[in-house]
Amino acid sequence: MKLQHKRYLQRLAAACLAGTMALSMISCGGGQQGDKNLITSQAGEERPVNLFSPMEKTLPGVENVARNAFDLTIAMAEEQLGVTVAYRTYTAEDYQDKTYDDVTLDRVRSNMDDIYLLNPDVIQILGEEGELADLSGLECAKNLREVVKVANTVDGKLVAIPQEMVAYGLFLNMDLFKKYGLEPPNTPEEFLECCQVFQQNGYQTPVGANRWWLEVFVLAIAYADLYNGGNTAREIAALNSGEAKYSDYMRPGFEFLQQLIDHGYIDPEKALVSEAIEGEGPDFMAQRTPIVMAYWGAANTDTAYGAPDFEMQVVGLPSHLGQMPVMPTTGFGIGANSQHMEDAMAALDVILSDEALRTYTNVNKVISSSKNVEADCIPALKPLNDRIQQNYYVLGSNAGMKLEQWGNTCIIVRELLAGATVDECMARFDQLQAETLAK
Amino acid sequence: MSLFLSVALVFCVLGAVVIFVAQRISREMSDSAIQNLSESLDLIQSTIEMVLESEAEFQSLVAREVAKVEDPEHYIRSFEKNQIMVKTAFIPAGKTEGYSNTGETFTAGELDFSAGGMVRGMPVSQSYLNHMGTWAYTIQCPVERDGRGLGTLYVEYVYDLIDNSLPNGFYDRQATLYIMDTQSQRFVLKPKGLGMRSAGHLNLDDYYRANDIVDAGIRAEVARCLEQGENALFYHDIRGVDSLNYMWSVNDGTSYLVGYVPVEAIQQEGRSVNQSILIVVLVMLAAFLLCCTLYYINQRQQIRLRREREEEREVHNRQLAEALHAAQVASSSKTTFLSNMSHDIRTPMNAVLGFTTLLAKDADDPAKVREYTKKIMASGQHLLSLINDILDVSKIESGKVVLNLSEFTLGDLVSSVDAIIQPMAAARGQTLDVEVDGVRHEHLIGDETRINQILINLLSNAVKYTPEGGHIWFRILGQRQRSSQFQHLRVEVEDNGYGMTPEFLTTIFDAFTRAENSTTNKVQGTGLGMAITKNIVEMMGGTIDVTSQVGKGSLFRVELELRIPEGHTERQFWEQNGIRRILVAHASPDCLNNIQLMLEDVGVGMDGVTSAEEAVALSMGAPDGHQLALLDLDLPSPGALSAARQLRQLLGDAVPILFLAHFDAHGTEEALALGNTGVLTKPFFVTAMREKLLEMQGSGHGEAAEAANSLAGLHFLAAEDNEINAEILTELLAVEEATCEVVENGQLAVERFAAAPEGEFHAILMDVQMPVMNGYDATRAIRALARPDAGTIPIIAMTANAFAEDERAALDAGMNAHVAKPLDVQLLKKVIHDLTHQSERN
Repeated sequence: MKLQHKRYLQRLAAACLAGTMALSMISCGGGQQGDKNLITSQAGEERPVNLFSPMEKTLPGVENVARNAFDLTIAMAEEQLGVTVAYRTYTAEDYQDKTYDDVTLDRVRSNMDDIYLLNPDVIQILGEEGELADLSGLECAKNLREVVKVANTVDGKLVAIPQEMVAYGLFLNMDLFKKYGLEPPNTPEEFLECCQVFQQNGYQTPVGANRWWLEVFVLAIAYADLYNGGNTAREIAALNSGEAKYSDYMRPGFEFLQQLIDHGYIDPEKALVSEAIEGEGPDFMAQRTPIVMAYWGAANTDTAYGAPDFEMQVVGLPSHLGQMPVMPTTGFGIGANSQHMEDAMAALDVILSDEALRTYTNVNKVISSSKNVEADCIPALKPLNDRIQQNYYVLGSNAGMKLEQWGNTCIIVRELLAGATVDECMARFDQLQAETLAK
Repeated sequence: MSLFLSVALVFCVLGAVVIFVAQRISREMSDSAIQNLSESLDLIQSTIEMVLESEAEFQSLVAREVAKVEDPEHYIRSFEKNQIMVKTAFIPAGKTEGYSNTGETFTAGELDFSAGGMVRGMPVSQSYLNHMGTWAYTIQCPVERDGRGLGTLYVEYVYDLIDNSLPNGFYDRQATLYIMDTQSQRFVLKPKGLGMRSAGHLNLDDYYRANDIVDAGIRAEVARCLEQGENALFYHDIRGVDSLNYMWSVNDGTSYLVGYVPVEAIQQEGRSVNQSILIVVLVMLAAFLLCCTLYYINQRQQIRLRREREEEREVHNRQLAEALHAAQVASSSKTTFLSNMSHDIRTPMNAVLGFTTLLAKDADDPAKVREYTKKIMASGQHLLSLINDILDVSKIESGKVVLNLSEFTLGDLVSSVDAIIQPMAAARGQTLDVEVDGVRHEHLIGDETRINQILINLLSNAVKYTPEGGHIWFRILGQRQRSSQFQHLRVEVEDNGYGMTPEFLTTIFDAFTRAENSTTNKVQGTGLGMAITKNIVEMMGGTIDVTSQVGKGSLFRVELELRIPEGHTERQFWEQNGIRRILVAHASPDCLNNIQLMLEDVGVGMDGVTSAEEAVALSMGAPDGHQLALLDLDLPSPGALSAARQLRQLLGDAVPILFLAHFDAHGTEEALALGNTGVLTKPFFVTAMREKLLEMQGSGHGEAAEAANSLAGLHFLAAEDNEINAEILTELLAVEEATCEVVENGQLAVERFAAAPEGEFHAILMDVQMPVMNGYDATRAIRALARPDAGTIPIIAMTANAFAEDERAALDAGMNAHVAKPLDVQLLKKVIHDLTHQSERN
């Protein structure tokens, strides 16, 4: 026993000595390499790709899932291609600032960047101006859902490709709906009834709104029949030829909005100066507002409505055909005169590849733009997803319509909010249609 | 405890030093970080200001060119837009509208120069988003010719030029850098890398919010700095990372560099230094702990060794004390022993001398002479036994005793012991019961003499320490054999005598102890008997133990394992005599079993009955079935004699009838009168029965043998240096009608024998210890003589060296036999007879 103990001590001492020696050798060996006293710096050739996009404001300690998902795909492109993607961002400070779309138009026209994240109206404007490159040759384009291709094809060119199919819907506080015995509304009438009940129960302004997204009510009511009636192509052709008037489609929606304004279910003044989510989001999350409208991804993002303290459900907008998701097609486009065209094309092909979209979709729980990528959605989004899977939706934008829908409707809705009558708004549509026909 | 305190103190001091050094390093590193960052920011600031200076200088040159040209509008409109000067405009003096190189009418109303920013004395506007969707600023430059103002030149610059001039990320791209327009507090240039979007991107409020900078004090101080155009640095965790935040004034505070750098990024080398210090401290601590541990272990070992040494010393002291005590006790015992011996030896010696005196006085009275010589003989025997015991102990203690192993029969052993002890017991009116039970093998190998000594010691003690009329039991019990080659025997000697106290029992086997002091007690002895007994038993690999109670008696128990000889001729005897089955009558079934056990060992069958009638009836049923009858003399009525008579008629005269009887049994004469009968002393042994049958077959041989042992007419040469012994020897031989010539030493014996004619001496009686030449040497010399009888003449050792090893030494020297002194005449006669007749036969 004593002998063993002694041996153990000897081994311990030997190990300590060896450790000390090793440390000494490591510290002595970490000096200058060789005898060179000349250090050369070999700057690697950088292959920049400039990406212009908007960005939600950041909250401390909160992860932006959507952004993280997008960053993952960008990282894939950087790794695979050896390019460096530089983010250039703009977000309007307030309603008096230039909008993102305005800035985007300027930047694309001034050839400031390579890749742009474009809203539907901007896609159509720039596509018609020929400012966007044709992306149909990209490998990833082969995987796109048909509806995406249709919505983003201008003058025969595929000018933008999204990572996800954006679907707008109503975000409902189901705790409050259940509290007052209400069901998610299917029609405009049911919606008004819900608002009435809420108002009667102290929710003076039951619908939270901002200056961007109220048009989804109008579009859902306006085009429910057009997109789900079986005569879509013919009706669009009639509108493009002037045989049919956009104002005729838009009027019910505007009248519905007018009713909301008249009953005080929305606050037009506040909505007119509110940015998306920033304006109405805090009240919705604090359960002071039972209904807001937003896009699919907002339900997944903690910076938006990803972690409510109540049961939330996302449904389509009310229409005569029931709940109707409104799907504008945002997308990434490349400037026609991009300084780094080749790298930009390659980068876009990577971030829109099935592999990248699978990552993006799995993280972000959205509907992929690729027909090859499927992902489960969170429970709150199930009602909205069910309607989309049943092929009940309205396109928020359609490059096939000569009159741009998403941006123009948004602007005219703002006029309604600012006090214009429905007739005046319809006259504005008629004027725009006439201008379009005159081109 | 002191060691622990010392270690704790060293640790405290070391800890304090480490903390002091660490704090100092941290402080210095913090200062260094601030200085480092300040230098970097100064560099960036200088770069931006240099860009602005360059732009302003270039714009001055353009203004001079505009002043020179005749048609400024044409000059301006033809001015090409480029990446630096994205818009060039001119407003002639006195007008509110001008023209630009982008084609549209230009007014200065949208430009805000209120912030007061100047470059080379030229106002710089607040930053704004230009028609390209990027942040821009405009520098206003007067156009003069010959001191007369022609108008104002406005040139719009975008921040992209500044962006291109800045380092592509600093502090290994870990730093975040914004350029903020001070008046609007909007960020006009932002970091562009992946993952750089989490730090806020819009304006200063957004930066504060995104980075959770809520400390009102910091925000107020930053606001003050912005107002004063001063630089500000402050530490704040950005998303969990300790960072140094900065607000660095550019161009007199019209713009600010805003951002943060993780402290680790600035202090990379500092971290290495800290890690190195930490490693050194840890190594030192480890070394110190190792030293402490080794010291502690060493101390423990020292303490343990010291304790062990102390314990060892204590043990030694205790052993010394015990040894001293033992020595004192031994000394006391030996003193007591000497005192006892003095008494014990003087007593018989006194008797010898006294009776010798009386003998001399009453020499004419034959009756008294016989009486005196008898008492002298008894006293002499007693003295002899005392001396034997003392010598025995001495020999045993010095390890010189060796066992003399030979084959013996248990029957002879018991018989001889019984023959010695029975008379002693009978003399004291004691009853001695001898019992043998469960013994399968009578023939055994052992030192018969020593076993005999053990038994006699135990039994004589029992006789001594049992009052008159007491009872003594002597049992030999065969135990279950542990090996087929060994007979396991238990010998028990029990008495109902005085018994012993528990205190005495603990010392009973020590030498020089005796139950009672011989000076005060009638019991005589050396007190060595039990010590000798125990030593002999242990030499034989046995054990001895004793139980005793005062007033009730004692029980000695000896366990012995004795080797069983391989193949003996016992069976042969019975076969040769045609004795195949014996009729045995004994009242005790146990005894019958015992007898059967022993008879089976020699291959003889047995029919056992427990009464005389059964014996007769059995014999009547099978008159030729038994070749021998053995009857217990104590058979119940009608008794053994009656049965013997009937058996004699049934079996005929040729069949021997033996009686099993106590040694002092009465009525044996009547039994013997039946003819072809004999008496066996209990206990039963097969060998005893065989001897008895042999005796019955050759009766009358005893007297003839006695006659044959006669020494009459023989002439001996005796070497004896002691005159008295020589005289005794001469006289004893004279009594036997033999003659003897005595020489004083071995040398003379050799010479005498050499000189004597062949056949003069029938034998040489040789003392061993003699002057000039001892008996051994003399024998060797005689044997070496060159004469025919030198090798054959019997030489008998006569010596007081009476032990087995002495006998062996004598035989080794060439002697033929060994007879111990004092001389036993009968033994001497037998030895001489055997040797002389053997010599004659040879």
